[in-house]
Amino acid sequence: MLQDISPATLLVLVPLLPLVGAVLTVLLGRALGSRAHLPAVAGIAASAAVALSLLFALARDVGVTPGAHGEPGRPVEMTTTLWQWAAVDDAYAPPAGSPAEAAGAAIGADSPGATELRRFSIPITLRLDPLTATMLAIITCVGLLVAIYSIGYMHGDPGYPRFFALVSMFVFSMTMLVAASNFLLVYVFWEAVGACSYLLIGFWFTKPEAARAAKKAFLVNRIGDFGLAVATFLLWMTYGTLNFHDTIAADNTILPGILGRTQLADAAGYAGGVVGTAICLLLLLAACGKSAQMPLHVWLPDAMEGPTPASALIHAATMVTAGIYLIARCSPLFVACPGALTVVSIVGATTALVAALIATVQTDLKRVLAYSTISQLGYMFASLGTGTLLGFTAAIVHLVTHAFFKALLFLGAGSVMHSMGGVIDMRRFGGLRRIMPITAATFLIGSLALAGVAPFAGFFSKDEILATLHAKGWPHAHGEQHEAAPADGHAHVPVAARFSSLRSSTAAVPEVKLDALDRPGVWRTLFWMSLITAGLTAFYTFRAVFMTFTGPTRVPDEAGHHAHESPPVMTLPLVILAIASAVSGWWLFSTQSLATFLSSTPSFTAPAIADTAVPHAFHLDLALQGTLAAAIGIAVAAIGHLGRRSDGPQLERFLGPLGTLFANRFYFDQIYSAFIVKPLEAVALIAAAFDRYVIDGLVDGVARIPGAVGQVVRRLQSGLLQRYALAGVMGTLLIVLALAWRLR
Amino acid sequence: MIANVFAELTPGLVLAAAVTATAASLWLLLPRGREQAAARWLGAALGVAALAGFIATGRRLGGLGEESVFLIVSLVAVVSGAATIVSRSPVYAAIWFALALAGVAGVLLVLGAQFLGVATIVVYAGAILVMFLFVLMLAQPAGLAPYDRVSNEPLLSAVAGAVLLGLLTLSIGRLSATPAACCKVPSRAAALGGPAAPVAAEPAAVVPADPLAADHVARLGGELFGRHLLAVEAAGVLLLVALIGSIAIVSRDDTPGGVESTVGRRTSP
Amino acid sequence: MTQMALLQNSLVVGAILFALGLVGILARRNLIVMFLSAELMLQGISVSLVAWSRHHGDWGGHVLVIFVLTVAACEAAIALVFVLRAFAATGRLDSAAWQSLRESNLPRVVDHELPSIDTIPPTFPTLTPAGVLPAADENERLQREHV
Repeated sequence: MLQDISPATLLVLVPLLPLVGAVLTVLLGRALGSRAHLPAVAGIAASAAVALSLLFALARDVGVTPGAHGEPGRPVEMTTTLWQWAAVDDAYAPPAGSPAEAAGAAIGADSPGATELRRFSIPITLRLDPLTATMLAIITCVGLLVAIYSIGYMHGDPGYPRFFALVSMFVFSMTMLVAASNFLLVYVFWEAVGACSYLLIGFWFTKPEAARAAKKAFLVNRIGDFGLAVATFLLWMTYGTLNFHDTIAADNTILPGILGRTQLADAAGYAGGVVGTAICLLLLLAACGKSAQMPLHVWLPDAMEGPTPASALIHAATMVTAGIYLIARCSPLFVACPGALTVVSIVGATTALVAALIATVQTDLKRVLAYSTISQLGYMFASLGTGTLLGFTAAIVHLVTHAFFKALLFLGAGSVMHSMGGVIDMRRFGGLRRIMPITAATFLIGSLALAGVAPFAGFFSKDEILATLHAKGWPHAHGEQHEAAPADGHAHVPVAARFSSLRSSTAAVPEVKLDALDRPGVWRTLFWMSLITAGLTAFYTFRAVFMTFTGPTRVPDEAGHHAHESPPVMTLPLVILAIASAVSGWWLFSTQSLATFLSSTPSFTAPAIADTAVPHAFHLDLALQGTLAAAIGIAVAAIGHLGRRSDGPQLERFLGPLGTLFANRFYFDQIYSAFIVKPLEAVALIAAAFDRYVIDGLVDGVARIPGAVGQVVRRLQSGLLQRYALAGVMGTLLIVLALAWRLR
Repeated sequence: MIANVFAELTPGLVLAAAVTATAASLWLLLPRGREQAAARWLGAALGVAALAGFIATGRRLGGLGEESVFLIVSLVAVVSGAATIVSRSPVYAAIWFALALAGVAGVLLVLGAQFLGVATIVVYAGAILVMFLFVLMLAQPAGLAPYDRVSNEPLLSAVAGAVLLGLLTLSIGRLSATPAACCKVPSRAAALGGPAAPVAAEPAAVVPADPLAADHVARLGGELFGRHLLAVEAAGVLLLVALIGSIAIVSRDDTPGGVESTVGRRTSP
Repeated sequence: MTQMALLQNSLVVGAILFALGLVGILARRNLIVMFLSAELMLQGISVSLVAWSRHHGDWGGHVLVIFVLTVAACEAAIALVFVLRAFAATGRLDSAAWQSLRESNLPRVVDHELPSIDTIPPTFPTLTPAGVLPAADENERLQREHV
């Protein structure tokens, strides 16, 4: 059925269906009552079907065959332009004879950048390529499972229709974000996703913690959004366009997009130097905000105040991957700036380690998972930062598997919470495997996947990441020559950038000092950090499992007497996700289908990336190291927590001051509060005082003048007729005197 | 040269002095609550000085000596007028007003308005003033009322009146025999007959054939009942309306403690 | 006296009368005296009108003065009625009796306590008694205090 419809229409349908679902839910929510989930779930389900069909159709076109890996792909993309937005045709055409006209002539009318400058417009263009198709499938499928789960979880909530409208809206925004083919559109939906996240975190807005967490998430995200905005400006200044794709103008000239084939084919097409590095670092800032990387990770643990399905959907599986997507999409920009790439890895690996350390002492099940999410996203960043084809595809593959098992873990936590009457503190319950066996089993599978135990999903995707980091740290051990960065390293001036004095001046700037970070020693450190993180991941995951599901059965008072397994509508998604978590890793690894598919993404076909393609291999030594780390972690967790009461702060006591440090989350919030929030509050207090006493005083003073004048003048209003007459006569005399003076 | 400047300045100084003296005199003369004979005498003296100043101005205007009749009657009018407004007792004020009317009638007669001079005496002194006195007799309490012994802002009022007087005198002094072009009023013939009639055809100042001519009243009557007949009728209607209106208002009986005690009882049917 | 001088002098007389009337209107508080002042102003106007009429040699000024007289008569009739009504309402002929339109929180303007007028007792000429003292009529002595 779906084959009969053109891919362009299908591509439009993917975001459109959830949007329709959201609008219908908003309009009919009250009327539908307890069936308000129907439009949203139907819309997301249809969207998931369309997205999957697109994925398979595109895979057929790319020609993924099992085993045909290790080859650089050929770029595959399809775009469909819906309409032109903010079209300013020839608005920049300067009047004849003006200095601007002379400048335009100097630029050269045939320069593509000059044409773009004069014809500014933002095409509403959706694109389809392997990366987008993968993201669309993940978003809609996880979204669908979460929406189905929410039918049970959110049952009876007064905001039931609102929740489904928001989830639907979020799926729309996220699909548009990954399908947009223009930096400005990406920015628009970047913000839309942030807004949906804000609304979902603050879903129970009468709860002060939830409202505060929503505010915090929004504000921290704004910092990242600022980075994206400035990056967009710089991209426009540098490349003269914001499009990803090439467009063909009316006169058959090709206007190269930033990530179009023309630009990609140009080996020296991307700006390095200060401007290029600045763009990359700003994009990284944006990604850090959305994907909760240090130092902007503080919002994600607090975001757990939202409903658990929202946490699973947004803060584990999909929205936080927007940063990964953005960097993967902009990978050609990053590989031109090796320093910025290294910073990506450093940020990722550091975040992974720090978040894992914090997660080891958390007692709130959802918080453990939240820090675990931050940690896993850090893995992906570390992988992206290697700048190799394997690194990028490994990050995306880990994104996919992580979406499965993290959604599974969150939904399992939600199931526990649902059953325990809203209690999520692991110290207050235990031995739940006897009460809720399905949840326990699926949670165990998810934990095994997260911990990286073979043959579950996390093992393979994490192994890939470790392998790519290892390859950067010990390049000769892999018998290959890494040419990730151009050999000469310094700035390349893109074709479209040659017409601007700004760009020509920046192009003259030599090598950036940041590039010096790209050294094997650094990468080796990052590799060891990642390996330690793997062990810690296994530890805190199984600590949570043991505390929650093993030991003597304990149920908090809030649960009452109805502690029970969740209804089928909630356990069904758990089972599906558990199966996916169990088998997806092996399948994806053994066939390399997803990696091969992804290598056809236009961004990954840039010569600087495609040249790094290596034959696919299974590194037994690395797998053994990873498995060993996981085994140690699980063993320590078992020693500490298996079969014991779960309410003792054993680990903190064991760790001493370090435990305090971890429990206080490395004092990030306190540092921010002391160095950013408090000074800002002081400034705000001063400003408020200035406003109240100076500005308002001024205004009030001006307002008192009429009153004071009135106090004086009202004495004239004596009610005595003759005084009024006298005043009239004197006024007349004054006028006559003035006239007499004039006519003198 | 200094003498020239002084000669230039003298009329202005005289006028200024006269205005100041007028203001001071009126302020001193007006009732201010305190009865100080010295102040009143000073006021009177200042008033005389002010009058002298105005006479001096007038003498400069055009040889007043030969028209002593005019001087006398106008002095009567002005002095009586001043006495009218400064008299404590309203009855005295009314009588002074009658004398002022006589003076005004004299001025009118000098100006050749025989009918008006007589009519002023007859209508004002004979009718209106008598009416005032009736009302005074009906309403005035015995003795001097407090409000007759004080004035409302006497100084400001006096200054305002004096300044007005100075301004008017100044502008009157600037009148010239031939009006400026901007102020030239087109003749009646020109206004009625259109622009064809030359403006210069009307003399700037035409002396009526003979102010004391025998047919003066007849000609005024002809003018009044000829060109202004409609206005006369309107004035007649106005008089009637005023008559009826005053009767209607005065005989309303809606005030508690009404007016019966002062104007007599309404005869009940 | 030239025509011009006559005009100017008459106008000055009219102006003086007008200004005096204005001062009276503004300063005096007795309603009747205020009226008289208004009539004084009208007289000043009449003088000016007649002077201009003579100067221009037409009857317009005269006719206007006649109408002024008429309207003044009407005005006097109506206004005196109002004065009577006002007196009936307050018992005074005081223009300051009405102050209701003043600002709400301003005190009412009241006259200060006036110094009493030193009423000099009437003195009569005293004759040197001569001749026989007339017989005193007791009745007459009771009725007349002084002779």
